[in-house]
Amino acid sequence: MLKQRTLFAVLAFLSITFIASCTHKVQIDNSVNVELKGNVKGLDPVGASDLYSSFAMSVVYESLYQYNYLKRPLQLEPLLADGMPSVSKDGLTYTIKIKQGVKFADDAAFPNGKGRELVAQDFVYSWRRLADPATQSEGFWVFDGRIKGLNEWREEAAKGQAKYDAPIEGLETPDNYTLIIKLKKPYYQLMYQLASTYTSVVAHEVVEKYGKEFLNHSVGTGPYILKEWIRNSRLSFERNPNWRGEKYPSEGSPGDKEAGLLEDAGKAIPFADKVVFYELPEDQPRWLKFMKGDTDFVEIPKDNYDGAVKDKKVIPELAAKGVGLRADPDPDLVYIGINMMDPVLGKNTALRQAMAMAYDSDTYIQKFYNGRAINAQSIIPPGVDGYDPEYKNPYKANNVEKAKELLKKAGFPDGKGLPAFEYNCSSSATDRQIGEFFQQKMAAIGIKITIQQNSWSQFIERQKSKKVQIFGVAWGADYPDAENFLQLLYGPNESPGSNASNYHNKEYDKLYDDASKLPPGPARTAIYKKMRDISATELPIIPDANRVRFQLFHGWIKNFKPHLTILNSYKYMRVDMDKKKELKGKM
Amino acid sequence: MAINEAMTQTLTMIEPQTIKKGKSLWTDAFQRLRKDKVAMVSFVVIVFYLALAFLCALNIAFPNYALVDNTIAYQAPSADHWMGTDIFGRDVLARAAHGTVTSLIIGFFGAALSILVGTLLGSLAGYFGGKVDDCVVWFYTTVDTIPYILLVVAFSFVAGHGLKTLCLAIGLTSWVSHCRVIRSEFMKQRGREYVQGAQALGAGHLRRVFFHILPNTFHLALINFSLLFVSAVKSEVILSYLGLGVEAGTPSWGMMISDAKLELARGVWWGLTAATAFMFFMVLAVTLFNDALRDALDPKLRGK
Amino acid sequence: MLKYALRRLVYMIPILFGITLVTFLLFNVAGGNPAIVAAGRYATPEQIAMIKAQLGLDKPLFMQYLDFLRQIFTLDFGYSWFTKQKISTLFMDGVGPSLSITVPAFLISLAITIPLGLLLAFFRKSTLDRTILVIALAGISISSVVYVIAGQYVFSYKLGLFPISGWETGWDTRWEFAVLPIIILVVLTVGTDLLFYRTVFLEEIHQDYVRTARSKGLSNRTILWKHVLSNSLVPIITLVILEIPTLLTGTLLIESFFGIPGLGGLIYQSIENSDFPVIKAVTVMTAILYMVFQLLSDLLYAWVDPKIRLG
Repeated sequence: MLKQRTLFAVLAFLSITFIASCTHKVQIDNSVNVELKGNVKGLDPVGASDLYSSFAMSVVYESLYQYNYLKRPLQLEPLLADGMPSVSKDGLTYTIKIKQGVKFADDAAFPNGKGRELVAQDFVYSWRRLADPATQSEGFWVFDGRIKGLNEWREEAAKGQAKYDAPIEGLETPDNYTLIIKLKKPYYQLMYQLASTYTSVVAHEVVEKYGKEFLNHSVGTGPYILKEWIRNSRLSFERNPNWRGEKYPSEGSPGDKEAGLLEDAGKAIPFADKVVFYELPEDQPRWLKFMKGDTDFVEIPKDNYDGAVKDKKVIPELAAKGVGLRADPDPDLVYIGINMMDPVLGKNTALRQAMAMAYDSDTYIQKFYNGRAINAQSIIPPGVDGYDPEYKNPYKANNVEKAKELLKKAGFPDGKGLPAFEYNCSSSATDRQIGEFFQQKMAAIGIKITIQQNSWSQFIERQKSKKVQIFGVAWGADYPDAENFLQLLYGPNESPGSNASNYHNKEYDKLYDDASKLPPGPARTAIYKKMRDISATELPIIPDANRVRFQLFHGWIKNFKPHLTILNSYKYMRVDMDKKKELKGKM
Repeated sequence: MAINEAMTQTLTMIEPQTIKKGKSLWTDAFQRLRKDKVAMVSFVVIVFYLALAFLCALNIAFPNYALVDNTIAYQAPSADHWMGTDIFGRDVLARAAHGTVTSLIIGFFGAALSILVGTLLGSLAGYFGGKVDDCVVWFYTTVDTIPYILLVVAFSFVAGHGLKTLCLAIGLTSWVSHCRVIRSEFMKQRGREYVQGAQALGAGHLRRVFFHILPNTFHLALINFSLLFVSAVKSEVILSYLGLGVEAGTPSWGMMISDAKLELARGVWWGLTAATAFMFFMVLAVTLFNDALRDALDPKLRGK
Repeated sequence: MLKYALRRLVYMIPILFGITLVTFLLFNVAGGNPAIVAAGRYATPEQIAMIKAQLGLDKPLFMQYLDFLRQIFTLDFGYSWFTKQKISTLFMDGVGPSLSITVPAFLISLAITIPLGLLLAFFRKSTLDRTILVIALAGISISSVVYVIAGQYVFSYKLGLFPISGWETGWDTRWEFAVLPIIILVVLTVGTDLLFYRTVFLEEIHQDYVRTARSKGLSNRTILWKHVLSNSLVPIITLVILEIPTLLTGTLLIESFFGIPGLGGLIYQSIENSDFPVIKAVTVMTAILYMVFQLLSDLLYAWVDPKIRLG
């Protein structure tokens, strides 16, 4: 009967595929396999605002400077630059020498398909792209208002076609290997920007040839080249045979030697033949892929933590499989922002203090980060200058009684007379749960909170349109300077800028301006601390947590020392092939 | 959706006339239902859910559904908490019970709105024909061809998120199938003798539509209501998964099932099970009852 | 026949117009200002204005609508706001994976539900019928989200039978990732399909000609296969044709959960990112597909049943 035959066919199909899946080959190759928590949008440095795209770009594109892989606190060192820059006394002129003999990777865009040598003009070209409105780059802020003539060039470009050969006063190239940057005013964060993905260098031939498809056709000076990109699934990069070569650092931080991180000191990098990025936005598939050994390290999702770590150590079953654990505090701040333009919230300091006092960061950290975070006391996180581990914010004491008193002082005893406030967050399940937690804590002192969830982009849009009252966000350092966090409350940065709290405080703003004129040092740190104190009392944001990244890594990956700000770490990692064979056999 | 449409097309084969032996459609249907054991059991289950929702809404049943206790988070089912606790230590059974309120509201209002809009447009189109019909058909073809999810998303852009938006969104996007049914029914009915008779007696258009033809379509509305009800309840789950669900803090089966995505990893299965079980029995009961109702109202099956 | 086809084609034009209008109104008007998000963390009002100009959003609404219409006619939907990738490329990339899941699932479901539906209709009210009915009804009383989540958890995670998620582009290597999604999709659709086909066959079986055939002494087998099935073929085929466009758009849920880079996943992402060009393009393309297949289905029906043509 037809039915029987169909059934048989179906069963046959299923069994064949079942058998096929069972014989899934175990991969043992010299590759570093990376998990990305989001999708890669494109491989164009002007699009480096997207973190996951930046990770993928980091193996192909290089900037003038980079952070030393091992040294903490972070230290800059030359990458494409030949030595550190010579800076004029007034801090306004930076003269940078470019390394000679650096080649772009081979590509059909070059004559004979051979990558040509990098010259100083390439940097000017690449940075013009950041300023060119046509690329719609989110990265212009790194140079906005800083370099002489660049803003003017951008305005001209906005009127019509950008002229890439028009001279820019602040970007001079007297010869092929010298770059002179002239600033409008002192900009001590410039060096950090010269280490960011935004300012990495691209070749104009490649951009001109591929036009709008350039973002799929990366050609850089880096150690790897793009081999394959299965959209929304994975990207594979292979060793660039023409790379000029570099050496693994010979110095690190205390403890690195003991951890085996200096074993490869002085050896030629990269070690791995391939770097593969897997785009895995969902927590569970990401976790399971690591467990199977298909990715080399993973940031432990909160729901898998108990099944992997006990007492800050890897559980025995995993340790037996060679899995190791690293805990690295991130220069990161999770906080609750308050829109100071709200007539009730913005005018009433005691009200905000009451909310901070009633909030319980410790339970929040326990519940949502498995205890893997520091109870943030102020806007300055660990890892940047100005951070004081001893500092305690008096309003973060988690004291419900005191909070009730403050609320009374604010004029709303037990919340009487207060309207309900809206807490905004993204639509993810975890964010929703975090919102519910906030709701519960506020309810304990009589403040009613409603939760408004939106898609991620709508959430951002609402913040930037000043349509939010209270919102839950996080900020990761773009560079290792407290200024990157303090600018979150700088008046002129109000929405649509980064100051989503729309905080305006004349004293704070003046201190910010003063600090920007000083190089890193005790004088500047002292000003940072003053700013911190103001924000800790006024509470335009309620600091919540500084996250600590707990990552598991497999026993065959060597030289694993991740940091939130160091994106180009993959060239240092080495795969121990023997160990990989041995451990993968056990999986 | 194609299957729904085709399914309801088969419904139009039901004739709303009185049949032999002098029994009206409704009396006959009622008697047949009484004899159908499955239908009776389903009916009882439905009543149970209605009662549960009512009691929960008044906070008489499971009053502690919102009681937070972070020290007993994610506890497995025990004597104190029959279906364990969730991430905030709340009783899962209580939350699943209160989720009934949310689902009933969405199911009821979503379906009711669909029926309302569908009936209104369908009756006008079927009765007046001509240009009115063309307009309505153009309109519903347009709405029908745009993917459902995208309509709901666009809706939420404007109206925000939450229970009200969900009801509106589901209601305003699911009316096409019923509209088609009503339209074709009206087209059949408008030429009938009883309608002509009413016209002869001086009844104007509206009177004829609402007082004469429309009552003869109530059984279609009832059947479709149950279908739409089930569809709305199931949509809530998918929309919750996509982040378009009810407001956080409100107990809802959709949210509980979505959260299971994260919870299963740490071996917490009770949230998913409770929500699925509650939804399962309600949906099954409504579906079975609706099936029996359809059979009871189908003249072709009489005398079999 | 030709006249009927032409009439229907002409009729499609106002529908298409309506769809583009509704889509445009929904997303260009109600959707908010994407330039704000595009400008990034450190946005300034002048940046936002510049981007708005770049995206063509500062033109009057009417001009934007014309641009949109032009895009549809040239089938060049421009670039995604979010990823800056060419939308037609995104489509082409997504079609393969989506079809790899939906087509096998569709065929398997058909192969199961049509014969089974026929059987159940024939043995109506028998134990077999009631049991399977209950199972089917029970099956559709569980949300699809539950099947997806639980399916992955039990079969991929706990039992380790299938990979958790992911995809391979090779035609030979993709199947191990497609198996579990296909199975789950079959499970999701088989319940509703079975109920539907059973109803269709029931209608046929109760026709008078069946009683006549039986009284003529024809065997049940002949009646079922030769007469009932072939007479039901028309509504079935017209329905199957209507289902084809849905195959293309894939299934949002399954694709996003299993990391399958298909059209469904594309839709999901573009919703999350307010990526209007993609959403609009998908909406219009899907609508056009529906209309085309609706037309095919109607034409087939008309060709078979002359009464419709004259109507």
